[in-house]
This record gives sequence, structure tokens and C-alpha cells, in this order.
Amino acid sequence: MRPPLPRFSRNALALSAAATLSVGVLAACSSSSSSTASTTPATSATADKAPIIIGASLSLTGDFSADGLNYEHGYELWAHDVNAAGGILGRQVTLKILNDNSSPTQVATNYTTLISADHVDLTFGPFSSLLTTPADSVVAHYGYAFVEGAGGAPAVFQSPANAADHNIFDVSLPIKDEMVPFVNYIASLPASQRPKTAAYPMADDPFADPPVQLAQSMLQALGVKTVYSKIFPEEVADYKAPADQVAASGAQIVVLGSTDVPTVSAFMQAFEQQHYNPKLFIAAAGPDQGASFTSVVGKANATGMMVPDGWYPGFADAASQALVKEYVAKYGGTASSMSSDVAEAYSVGQVMEQAIKATGGTDNAKIIAYLHSSGTTLTSVQGPVKFDSLGENGESDAFVFQWQNDVFDQVLPASAAGSVAILATKPNWAS
Amino acid sequence: MARQIYQAIADGILVGGVYALMAVGLTLIFGVLDIINIAQGILVILGAYLSYELAARLHIDLFIGLLVTVPAMFVIGVVIQWAFIRPLRGRERTSMTLLVTYAIALIVEGLLYQLFGPSYKQLNAWYVTSSVHVFGFYLPYIYLFGFVLALALVAALYMLLYRTRFGRSVRATMQDETAARLIGIDTNRVAAITFGIGVAVTAAGGMVYGATSGGFNPNSGYDLISRLLAIIILGGLGSIGGAMVAAVFMLTLESLVDVWSPEWAIVVFYAALVLVLVVRPSGFFGRQPVRAQ
Amino acid sequence: MSHAATPGRRWPGQRLTRGARAAGLTALLAAAVAFPLIFPNPVATNYGVFTLIFVAVASAWNVFSGYSGYISLGHAVFFGSGAYTLGIAARDWHVSGTAVFALLPLTAVAGALIAVPFGLVALRVRRHTFIVITIAVFFIFQLMAYNFSFTGGSIGVSAPFLPWQAATYNNPFYYIALGCAVGMIAIAWLIRRSRFGLQLRAIRDDEDRARGLGVRAMRVKLIAFALSGAVTAVAGGVWFFYLTQVEPPSGFDPLFDLSVVLMAFLGGLGTVAGPVLGALIIEPGQLYLTATFTSGYLSEILLGVVFLVVVLFMPRGIIPTGGEWVTKLRTRGRPAITPPAPVQAEKAEAKR
Repeated sequence: MRPPLPRFSRNALALSAAATLSVGVLAACSSSSSSTASTTPATSATADKAPIIIGASLSLTGDFSADGLNYEHGYELWAHDVNAAGGILGRQVTLKILNDNSSPTQVATNYTTLISADHVDLTFGPFSSLLTTPADSVVAHYGYAFVEGAGGAPAVFQSPANAADHNIFDVSLPIKDEMVPFVNYIASLPASQRPKTAAYPMADDPFADPPVQLAQSMLQALGVKTVYSKIFPEEVADYKAPADQVAASGAQIVVLGSTDVPTVSAFMQAFEQQHYNPKLFIAAAGPDQGASFTSVVGKANATGMMVPDGWYPGFADAASQALVKEYVAKYGGTASSMSSDVAEAYSVGQVMEQAIKATGGTDNAKIIAYLHSSGTTLTSVQGPVKFDSLGENGESDAFVFQWQNDVFDQVLPASAAGSVAILATKPNWAS
Repeated sequence: MARQIYQAIADGILVGGVYALMAVGLTLIFGVLDIINIAQGILVILGAYLSYELAARLHIDLFIGLLVTVPAMFVIGVVIQWAFIRPLRGRERTSMTLLVTYAIALIVEGLLYQLFGPSYKQLNAWYVTSSVHVFGFYLPYIYLFGFVLALALVAALYMLLYRTRFGRSVRATMQDETAARLIGIDTNRVAAITFGIGVAVTAAGGMVYGATSGGFNPNSGYDLISRLLAIIILGGLGSIGGAMVAAVFMLTLESLVDVWSPEWAIVVFYAALVLVLVVRPSGFFGRQPVRAQ
Repeated sequence: MSHAATPGRRWPGQRLTRGARAAGLTALLAAAVAFPLIFPNPVATNYGVFTLIFVAVASAWNVFSGYSGYISLGHAVFFGSGAYTLGIAARDWHVSGTAVFALLPLTAVAGALIAVPFGLVALRVRRHTFIVITIAVFFIFQLMAYNFSFTGGSIGVSAPFLPWQAATYNNPFYYIALGCAVGMIAIAWLIRRSRFGLQLRAIRDDEDRARGLGVRAMRVKLIAFALSGAVTAVAGGVWFFYLTQVEPPSGFDPLFDLSVVLMAFLGGLGTVAGPVLGALIIEPGQLYLTATFTSGYLSEILLGVVFLVVVLFMPRGIIPTGGEWVTKLRTRGRPAITPPAPVQAEKAEAKR
């Protein structure tokens, strides 16, 4: 009788089986195009023209899922609108969106798949600066243009891939100057009315810190004393301790470097518990998330909260208003409940559309050259778009918005078209 | 400066109470079943969502709602233990329980995403935002109530463990499972009920967490589990009072370092854990193992 | 007469099987080497690179945790440290192009150097406490990566850009990852056969008894830990250079270790081929499924269910369980022990 197979032989057999299996799977993966969420073209009258396939990887699960979903809506709304108007150059647009679970390994795999297996013509960017950099090094090697709306940290534009290939184009407001209108407002106040002290709590994130740090140095030059300035880790489960420290400082202005709603909400809650009412409270992100923000903090407490951004639902631009209407019709809620993510994503599509039309096709090299050419100013629902050599949108203006009785209003620069009067003092917390 | 320090100490104690609520269940499970329950973080979130549903739909007060959520989570705990953890045996039991509890965490998280989506929720009540003015400091009611609840639960668990027959079975199983079985204790039943109790207590932790976190969604569980594990190891596996002491100690330490630098505060949290364990491997109040695990 | 009764005697065909074994492995290696030539599509080689990185990591993890029984949930410390070491060295010493690969041995050194104090602190405690210490050290490292300026803070470190053709960009990375993986598998196999491996397994079975028998437990554990850490760090370096970016949450990913545990466990903890098999199945599977399942969170639920099924029904992993099934099939119908010759029955026959 044979004794059982020695362990190593079993290993070798199993290993061969698994290797063959894996090879087969991988081969299948590389030859087929994966099935994904895609917009089906409207009944095309121009059936003889091949569709334009655009690929993107989005964070539909994981850390950035709330924003990823908004981006998906934005891309899809754009594709739908373009197709309803007859497509671009007579060609319908098909979107291929893959999920990256907010993981850099996955995002690199996704763009490789989109370009080499699905053979997309063009690519849109993912959500967040943290994912844009690894994604771009894949995309840059293929010579594709990378139009995106959510990678605005300086590190993105200075990445080696972009330095080599200059293929990144961020349609949104570059973040480092976004607090400047707020600082200008403080400077415009007569010295007797100007707040004397400020606190600068910041989450450890390349998106949140640069604008707050710039605001701090500018306000200090104006004579506003810094009574608190610290960076706290982002992945923390409780913000009570740093928030209480800010409250104890009694600062009249709070400039919060936040990246999401819970950070802002936790600070607001701690301030309320401490009976601390700052005169002015501006956050880098969070209050611009529409209903996601107000449903957590409550409408009464949201009043007076400010946030800088390049766009808001009340933007008096025909295309923007049309988008808002369409969004509300499809997803419900009011105009103020719409997140700016949707407009960012929509603008990405618009910019790409104009580039395709101007270059007469989907040749990426031509598109990159066109987008960098000095005379080119494009339009989008977020306003004008003009790229500098690193891909930043130099034309976009920063605005500051404020919640006033459940309406999200533009307040700064005070002289800009569409601005309403700013609520100069934040009302006390509603208990 | 002194004011900041007192504020930090007060904050540490109060937040420590919240973490104690979340950790107590974990240490009980650890002590009796000898497993690391990675699903603890998401179970806290589940408790928060249950409280949210009761409050949002039926307008039941958060603390009163515990009368429903605690038994509900008890049942969930017993089912999970009986179906998925009891069958695990053998030499690789440690990695198996790690993987199974991780799998359960994934499933619960996926279900919560399906049901509620990624948007943030907040538990509200009058005591969430208001505070009592004491010695020039504001102490929020929710934290005070949470602290009292933690003490009450710890006391109740002590009563259960030291004054009831069931408690004796639990302690016997903790000390030596084989011996306990030999004297006739149904260790399977003990394990299932203990797991249930551990999860049930977590419902309370989830409610307080949901009220104090500033907004939670299914993804919020990940940040919690590592800190909870650190707390229970520091307190001593299986020691309920130890978990409470450790929670307050760690959070106060972190809060104090926060005054100087929030970035390093969390490092200090984990570094303190490592240091204490080097000196005293079984934590503050843990039992020294007789033989190697 | 059963062969079991004559110890030391080889069964016929064993030499044949040994030859077949060697041939099989050679064929496997040849297939792995030829893979990028047969499937030149960057999608396939991309899967190959990530998969091989995880084959090396899972194997390295298993050499320590699988053999010694000390489950480490902190190997991401080595992975991230390797990534950062390569990035910081390339940045500060102004290395670019293919020369960056020459810095990889540095990552191994870094991994080993970190493993020593890490191990000295962590390996003094018993199993459960060890797990939590590894988690704590992991978080310390992640937070240090955020806090120090030389690690780039929350921005992290970028790798120098390689101006290579896209179509063949992945191939050098594939071969280097393959080298790491094959090297680690060889090391794992050698350890398993050696006295060192025996000492490790003795520690796993009963550490006190092993100590009593003269095994220098701390030294053995530390060596295995350092070895495991060094290879994991090299894998981290390769991963970093391929992805061109490391940030604190990606280099020190809390879910990294759980994936590695699953891979090793799925294949069979403590075996040589187990973690390899596990990585071959899980890494490409995970990449593919995450990309494809965009609808809702079904993929998470599905993944959890698969884990549960695997752990509950194949608790020893594929390789040992598979081996048992194969044995069952091969010995079906045959008694375990041949009964002694029925002399009495013959006598009874003769009597009739």
C-alpha cells in the first residue's frame, strides 16, 4: 500500500493547479473588458460613429465613498447631457467607471485595466489628491491627459509624473489660495471692529493645511493674534480634546482645516458644550457638502458657518442652474442640499468636451497641447478654466460661502456678482 | 496653562468613560472565550445605528432606547457566537477567530452600507449639546451620563460575575476551560451567553459613541478597534474594572499630551501601551498565565 | 506485508515521484518566468506584479507567524518602512532611473534593523498580548510617518519617474518581484527542512517545553522575525517604486496584515506552499472583484461570506485539506492495515 503523498508532492500539485488557475484567470481578465456601470448612449441616430469611451476610477466604497458617489453622479449627469444633445462630434459618450475602494494599489490597477484592456479613449480623474498621484503615474506613461476635479493639493502638481509629462489638469480651484477672500474681508474691517484673536486647528492632510497656514500668516501680518495653531491626526475617533483646547483659548475667529463633515460637526458640538461662540467660523471643507452637512449639525447651528469653494448651487450661471435643476430632479432634495463634488465632476466632463471639439478628436497628445496652450480659456459650471504649465486652474476665483437659515449663500468677495450680505457675527449655538 | 491641564484631565476622564463602555464588552469576550473580536468596532457602530433608528423613527429617547437595543444586541451576539465561533477549534484557533470576526465585521459593514448608505448620522438629544457648569468648567451631560452608565454597567457585571451562579461558571471557564467542563459546567452555553453579554454592553457604548462622535457612518468602525484592543490589553484581559481604569488612564494621558501636540498624543497612547506591557505583560489587572498560551 | 511494517524501506516509485516533483516545480518556475512573454498585456503583468509582491509577503509572514505560532498583525510596519526607506534614500541621495533598484538591499537592512528592537519588546509576551503589541507598534509607525518631516508628513514620498514605454513598463518590476517571491519560497523551504525550522515549530507547539529541551527561544524567534521583516521590507520597496507613491495610510495600511493572514491561512498556515497559494488566489481576486463590483456594498458582504465559508469548512487551509482529500481518494477502498494472514481459516478449510 502506498503511504499518503509526501507533503511536498501535495504542495507541488496544488501549486501547479493554482498557478494554472491564476494564469487562466489573469488571461481572461486581460482579454475581456470588465463589465461596469456605464451610461448607455441615447438612441443614436449616428450609429455608424464609434462611441467615445471615457474611463475613470472612483471611490465608491471605503474612506472616500461619500464623495466618490457624488463624483459618479456628476460624471454620469454630464455624459447623459452630452448624449442627449447629440454627443461630441456626433459620437455618443460611454463611461466606464471602476471602483477603487479608496486604495492606491487598486487605483493603479484600475487605470491600467481601463487603458490596456478596455481601451478607453480618454480618462477622468479619481477622487482625492491621495489617489490622483499614483493614478497619474500610470496614466502619464500612456500619454493620456488626466483631467480631474478633486486633486488640488500642491503635491499633485509637483509629482514626478506631472513634472515629466504635464498631463494633469485640475479644473477646480487650487486650494492654497482659497482662504484669501476671507482674509481680505478681515482686512477690510475697520481696526476697531476687527477680531483680535484666531485659532487654527488643522487635520493632518495635504488638502486642509496649506490654505489654513497661508491664512494664518496673512492674518498674523494684519495683527490678529494666533492663540491656537496645531495639527491633529485625521484618523482620530474623538476631537473633543483639541476642540476643548480651542474653546479654552477663546479665539474670536476659528479657521478649521477639515476635510469632511464629522470633523466640523465634532468641533461644533464641542464648542456648543463649552458655551464657546466664535464670532467667525470658517472650515476648509464640510459645510460645502449640502444636506450631508445640515442633516448632521442641524439647520439652526449651520447658520453662520462658512466655507471656501469655487462653486455653489446658487451660482447665477445658466449652465450651472440647469445642472442644479437636473440634479434635484433626479436625486431629490433642494438646491442647497447639493454637494460641490457634483459640479466639480461635471466640469471635468465639460472641459474634456471642449478639448475634444477643439482638437477634432480624442488624440491625447493634441488634447494635452491644447489644454496647455496659452490662449485657451474654457467654460464650466464652476466658472472659467485656464491651465498653467503645471495644470492648475489659474482662472478660477475663490469664493466664500455661508449658511444663512438653511440657504447656502455666496458672501465673499463682497463685491463679486451674486454675493449677499455676510452675517458678520455667527449666532450663538441653538440649544 | 493650569486651566488647560484641568480641562484636559476632565476631558480625558469623560471620554475615557465612553471608551470604557465600548471596551468592557470586548474584554469580557476576550477573557472567557480567549478570542480577539475584531468585529467589536463595527458592533459599536451597529449599536449606534440601532439607537439612531429608534430615535429617528419612533422618537424614543436614547437612554430609554437602550432597553430595546441592549437585548437586541445580546441576541445578535449569541447567534454570532453559536453559528460562527463555536465551531472553531484546533491549533490555528487564534488566526481562525481573527479571520472569522473580520469576516463578520465585513458582512455587518456591508449590510449597514446597504441599509443606510455612506452619509453621516448623528444622535441628538437635549443632553448631547448642553453641559453643566462646575468649578468654571463645562462638563457636557452626555459624557457625564455616559460615565455613570459605564460605572453602572461595570458594577452590574461585577454583580453578575461574583454574586450569581452563572457568574461563577464564567469565572471558572476563564480560569481553566477543561477543568470547568470536568466539573459539569456547560462551557458552550457559558461562551455563547458571555459573548451575548459582551455584545449587549457594546450597544450602550455605541449609543454614547453615536452621540459624541460628530457623525458616524459604516466606515467609522475601523478607527475604534485598535484603540479598544489597546485598552483591554492594558487593563488586563478579562478584567472589567481593568478596562475601565485603562480607558480613563489612556484617554487622560492622551488628552494631556493633546495640550502640547495632538499629533503626538496618539503616538503616546500606543507607546504607553507598549511600555506598560514590557514591564507588566499581563496589563494592570490581568492574570499571569500559568503556562504559555 | 504492509510497507508500514518495514520502516526505512522506500516504496516503489518514490524516486519517480521525486523526479516528477522536481520537474513539476521547474515547469512552474519556467511558466512564471515566461508569463510576461505569453501575456504581454500590461493588465496581466500588473496583476502579476502585485500578486508576486504578496506571494513574497505572505510567505515571509508565514515563516515567522505560521511556523512559530505568534500571529503578527504588524508586518505592515516592515512593508511601509521598506517603502519609505527606498523613497527617502532615492530622494536624499538623488538616485533616479534603474539605479533605484540597487537601493533595495537597503530596505532589507532597514527591515531587519527595525525587527530587532520590535522583536525584543514584543516577543517577550504571550500570544494574545503579542498580537496587540504588533498592532500598537503598527500604529506608532503610521503616526510617526504622519508626524515627521523627513517622511513627508501626510503627503508622503514620491518615487523618481521612470521614462519607460508603457507597454513594457511592468516587466522589470515583474521579474524583480518574481525574484523576491522565489527567493522567499526557497528560504521558507530551507527553513522548514532545517533544525532551525524544527526549533520554531517546537516553540509553536509548546514553548516552555521547547525551552526545557534547550531551544534558545528568544534568539530563534528574533532571527525568524528579522528574516521575515527584511523580506517584507524589500517587497514594500518594490511596491513603492512600482506605484511611485507612498503615503502614511497606504504604506501602513491597517487591513494589510489581515489580508496576509487570510492568504496564509487559506493556503495552509505553516506549510511552504500554503501562503503562496493563498496569495495567488486572493490578491488577483481582490483586485479584480473590487474593480468590477461597483454596485453597493455587495462585494464586502460577499467577501465576508467567502471568508466564513473558508474558515469554517477548510479550517486547515487548502493545501493540508486538499492533501487529505487526495489521500482519501487514493486510498479509497483499501484498509488502513492489512489484516494478518488467516492461518486458522486455511486450517479450517483443510479440515473439511
